[in-house]
Amino acid sequence: MTADQVKKTLASAVPGLEAELRSRPVGVRTRVEVPELWATVSREGLVPAVAALKAAGPLHISVISGRDAGEGIELLYHFAVGYGTPGGEVTVTLRVTVSKSDPVLPSICHLLPGAETSEREKIEFLGLSFTGIPSTAHVFLPDDFPGHPWRKDDPETAKLVNRLVEWEGKNG
Amino acid sequence: MAETQNVYEIPIGPIHPALKEPIRFTFQVEGERIRGVDIRTGFAHRGIEFMAMKRNLIQILYLSERICGICSISHPIAITLAVERAAGIEVPPRAQYLRVIYSELERIHSHLLWAGVAAHELGFDTLLHLTWKVREQVLDLLEELSGNRIDYALPIYGGVRRDVAPEQIPKVEAMARYYRGLLDELLDAFLRDPSVEARTRNVGILTAEEADSLCAVGPTARASGLSKDVRQDRPYLVYGELGVKAITPRDYGLEPRGDVYDKAVVRLLEVAQSLDLIEKCLYEMPEGEITSFPKVPALLAHLKKAEGEGLGYHEAPRGEVIHYIRLEAGVEEPMVWKVKAPTYSNLMSWVPMFRDQEVADIPIVAASIDPCMCCMDRVHVVRDGSPGTVLKEELLRLSREKTERLTRHLSPVPRHGGAA
Repeated sequence: MTADQVKKTLASAVPGLEAELRSRPVGVRTRVEVPELWATVSREGLVPAVAALKAAGPLHISVISGRDAGEGIELLYHFAVGYGTPGGEVTVTLRVTVSKSDPVLPSICHLLPGAETSEREKIEFLGLSFTGIPSTAHVFLPDDFPGHPWRKDDPETAKLVNRLVEWEGKNG
Repeated sequence: MAETQNVYEIPIGPIHPALKEPIRFTFQVEGERIRGVDIRTGFAHRGIEFMAMKRNLIQILYLSERICGICSISHPIAITLAVERAAGIEVPPRAQYLRVIYSELERIHSHLLWAGVAAHELGFDTLLHLTWKVREQVLDLLEELSGNRIDYALPIYGGVRRDVAPEQIPKVEAMARYYRGLLDELLDAFLRDPSVEARTRNVGILTAEEADSLCAVGPTARASGLSKDVRQDRPYLVYGELGVKAITPRDYGLEPRGDVYDKAVVRLLEVAQSLDLIEKCLYEMPEGEITSFPKVPALLAHLKKAEGEGLGYHEAPRGEVIHYIRLEAGVEEPMVWKVKAPTYSNLMSWVPMFRDQEVADIPIVAASIDPCMCCMDRVHVVRDGSPGTVLKEELLRLSREKTERLTRHLSPVPRHGGAA
């Protein structure tokens, strides 16, 4: 499956979804362009987009990365479509932004069970919630950990950092 | 929770200093059979991504090296690739070859480390000592090339920090010769030994379908027959030109079953593959610069002006490692740095692997995905509501007794593959 085909698959699954191709030039003697697709998708379009990727070829999710983008929370789903042939895998990153007042996303675990660890990690670090996720147990932080450390407006994290700074003796 | 009165819970873990992510398993056990497992991680979560929010990229590079002592080339390679992509930095050809050489050396020492651990978990300490003795050769070479046995500080944004000098090339070649001469002996000791086969065949099975849907990576996925290797699927550095092919048990003439035996097959064959790659790189490597930014202040100034985002991925010894970075102009710290290590992806594969296995198989099944398994420090057996403690030694004893029991009536298997 080529990057163009993946792009078309995405566009037909989610109307208006325009994936940007950012090729990565690789190699010394023979230069090849390794395809990378980046697309911004709405919360509603996420599940159809992932379903289309899954239908396109063997689908692998590397990780979901996320950040506090001020007004909203931005999540990046890093997929790779079509392993098994040399140079034949296409990296696809889907960018989803949700507002802080309604930080809820649909889970993609029913399509790709391997996404569960990554979704659970986002719950504890960014304070999101996923509908339909099989388990919401913490992955990395203790169960009673206060706050969500990757949120920049999180008072509990600020308190924690202050305590660490005091503990290191850098406050005085 | 126990469903019937015959099901007991055995928690194992969680504190294991040697693991990058110490783990607690809670097994539901019916007699000797494992019926289910609950896995908890995060006991040594150090908040490295959080720490990076307050550091510049050079500082983060050294931080990334300390994510894992065994993968102290893999993480720097992934972050340098991500940052080079985000900041538009070119890597000189020679540096790309050198990065491949260093990461394949790391793969050899990591796979040999695993093989020793696996032998130990089965009760074959002679084999452990043999494997770790021969592993010294590659560590010596890494020390010769970098100055350190671990934490090599080799990759830097725009290249590498040290070249392979002409007088060091014979040492690399000698290392390759040494392991080639030994490989058959190692394959013999692991794959044609009746007791290893009895303990690893059809134990801890991960089917191809499970590996695919759970997004397993590295040798864990390849042992199940998936042709999945970042070096093959998504070329980076010079791996595309070197023609890397994902190794599955089929390369040893076996139909993949996804058990512990197959995982040993894949890892041992990958040692030979790494030797090939290192030798190819040595001969094909052009002369030239090893970094596009010889002066660190110039590099820092360039990085501070950079704006953009990038992904860096690499096939670490345990599987895919991926880093995502986002830089903003005028700020030294990255906006986001996300690290994904291979064990993160393989975590869920444990659940089907443990199902219906025996308690005595816990050490080898847990070790089979290679999570740096000096792990079984402490086991609590909760029985009749009164907790008792089973130490690692007790679990190892169970494992060894099983080996003895099984091998009493075994005759050696024929050479050429161990398919029963």
